[in-house]
Amino acid sequence: MRIVNVAAAALLAGTMTGLSGGALAQERTVKITGFGAKSGVVRVFGVNSEAAMKAAAEEINKAGGVTLGDGAKAKLSVEFLDDRCNAEEGISVIRRIASSDAFVAVGPTCSNVAESLFGILQKKVGDTSDSGLQFPVFADVAAKGGLAAISEWAFRNVPSELEMYKSLFAWLKREHPNLKTIYGGVEKDFAHSNATYGVMKKQAEENGFQLLGTGEWLLNDTNFSTQVREMRRTNPEIVAISAHPFTTCGVLREMDRQGVKPKLLIGLTSSSSIETLQGCAKQAEGIIIPTSFAPVTPEAKAAAENVSKQGGSMDLHSAAAYEIMFILKDVIESQKIMAKPDTVQADRTKMRQGLAALKETKGLLGSVGRTNDREAIKPYLYVHAKDGSWQVLHKPSS
Amino acid sequence: MDFYLGLAQVIGVHTLLGLSAYCVLLTGQVSLAQAAFFAVGAYVAAILTVIFKWHLFAALGVSAVVSGLTACAVGFPALRVKGLMLVVATLAFGEAVRLFFFNFTYQIQAGELKIGPHGAEGFRQIRYFPEHGWSTFDVLMFIWLMVAIVMACLWWLDQSRAGAVMRAVGEDEVAAHSSGINVTAVKVLAMTIGGVIAGIGGGIFAHYTTHIEHVQFGVILATFAIAYPILGGLSNVFGTLLAVIFIQGFLIEGLRFLGDWRNLLFGALIVLAMNLRPRGFLDAGGVASLKRMLFAGKEGSGA
Repeated sequence: MRIVNVAAAALLAGTMTGLSGGALAQERTVKITGFGAKSGVVRVFGVNSEAAMKAAAEEINKAGGVTLGDGAKAKLSVEFLDDRCNAEEGISVIRRIASSDAFVAVGPTCSNVAESLFGILQKKVGDTSDSGLQFPVFADVAAKGGLAAISEWAFRNVPSELEMYKSLFAWLKREHPNLKTIYGGVEKDFAHSNATYGVMKKQAEENGFQLLGTGEWLLNDTNFSTQVREMRRTNPEIVAISAHPFTTCGVLREMDRQGVKPKLLIGLTSSSSIETLQGCAKQAEGIIIPTSFAPVTPEAKAAAENVSKQGGSMDLHSAAAYEIMFILKDVIESQKIMAKPDTVQADRTKMRQGLAALKETKGLLGSVGRTNDREAIKPYLYVHAKDGSWQVLHKPSS
Repeated sequence: MDFYLGLAQVIGVHTLLGLSAYCVLLTGQVSLAQAAFFAVGAYVAAILTVIFKWHLFAALGVSAVVSGLTACAVGFPALRVKGLMLVVATLAFGEAVRLFFFNFTYQIQAGELKIGPHGAEGFRQIRYFPEHGWSTFDVLMFIWLMVAIVMACLWWLDQSRAGAVMRAVGEDEVAAHSSGINVTAVKVLAMTIGGVIAGIGGGIFAHYTTHIEHVQFGVILATFAIAYPILGGLSNVFGTLLAVIFIQGFLIEGLRFLGDWRNLLFGALIVLAMNLRPRGFLDAGGVASLKRMLFAGKEGSGA
């Protein structure tokens, strides 16, 4: 009898072990690695992206997680690495991620980092003469135009600034026919702001605005008196500033100090963020910025709250990171990604194929189109700073 | 594995940058212009391989010569001043070069694309390595072959009379001058050799990062360039290598997992290292101890 009991106990223990092993096998975790700037003056973008990715992962996990190719359910976890907005470090980070079991990475923040690390990826898929890294990278923040064209392994979920400013200047011409002159300001040493200023300038001129001059400064500048003095001398009706929140606020404060009061202010997409309002809400009052995010839909409002709980704030960049997590979930499921150590390269190929095949994704403001060159066509609207918050001014797509 | 190979590439290229400053420091001069020579090398080599489709070796040769000539040209006027004035003069030159590339545009049409440096937006698609099928390991081997050649040359130079002359100028310029050494010629020569090495390093840098722009060649890079040999010690070339491994391998990559704390620790650990080893990781005393340890057994067996 005793032997029977021992045998039964052993059988039970074995069964339990098997069950718990099985349960453990079911409780898998898929790590998605993000990377970007979490140091320096653009640190806040990395902080927000990380918070957005974590908030999205939490939402996905609450809804049951993601179904892998073998039918197992998995939770998503997020790791975020700092590249300090430095191209060399960005390359090291992507090599580090690619040396792990990861099948995709989300980032980077800075366009100059994206330029370099997209350059080390294989340019054309299947080109055996190209020894570039075969690893899919999905950019959330790096906004300089045309970057995904560098490699077929590069994808972006950033808005087209060309379309946004084209629409904005045409709208300004219609809505403010009395305004004729414009003065530009550009953060010259930052790839994104510099490239976008080119877009702003071209669109302004094509819509008949007379450009009176351009003030230039650098990302780390703190004194803008010379540039603003020159601006004041030309007495423009519109001032268009292509700069990130830190120097945008510096220039706006200096304009306030020198009594420069244009009839209209236009800002860079990246400045439609909480940082601008925290830094210079009074001086930024009325500034118009096209953006691909505003909490105007129930999904967008809920997402903004979730990101806030994770210690970040939702803007057009972190919204892109949030959306990317849901896109990745869909691609993992549709492409039957296994997420196992022995299927890493196959999973990467599947992920790339899945992302390249997307024609439309779900965004926080509505459907997001996907182009053949792996870019996004995002819905956008114009916001303006009013009473210390961003409020929707116009919805061109509606 | 690819990550470690990539990290070893970074260490190799930064070693070249550090060695370019090492030459100048041997003569007692502190130059913040090494990042500028590095930038000249990067842009020249990239233009030659991307626009003119040159072979990389030829492009690196030309970039070394152009950077060397630039350093030589800068050396004559800059080395008339000493100490802090030289630091300011070379810093100003470095900024001038950076601003030159900030405004430098030279693009040609290649199919649907325009290629070449484009001012503040930089110079993209410098993809010689992947387009010619070089694996990460191949690139690593090439970089370290260059590092080995440069280190061997500098080691030989250090052991030669020319090296003794350079160190003599570095130790006491007046005494060196009194003993008949042409101090200006020695300093300019050191600056030129440093320029050549920085030119090679910059050329390789442009090709492994695939995109270069003026921001990369600013004061921070110039500071790193002189920090490597100072932190590593000037007793021989290996000190610079050790310092690069410490900064790039340990402080930057090794501590990345610490997130925000990494940046705080970065400065603190450098200060700590400088306090513990004020004459560098490999100072003369350290080298002598190493020699005693390594050769003690042989001496004993021979006795």
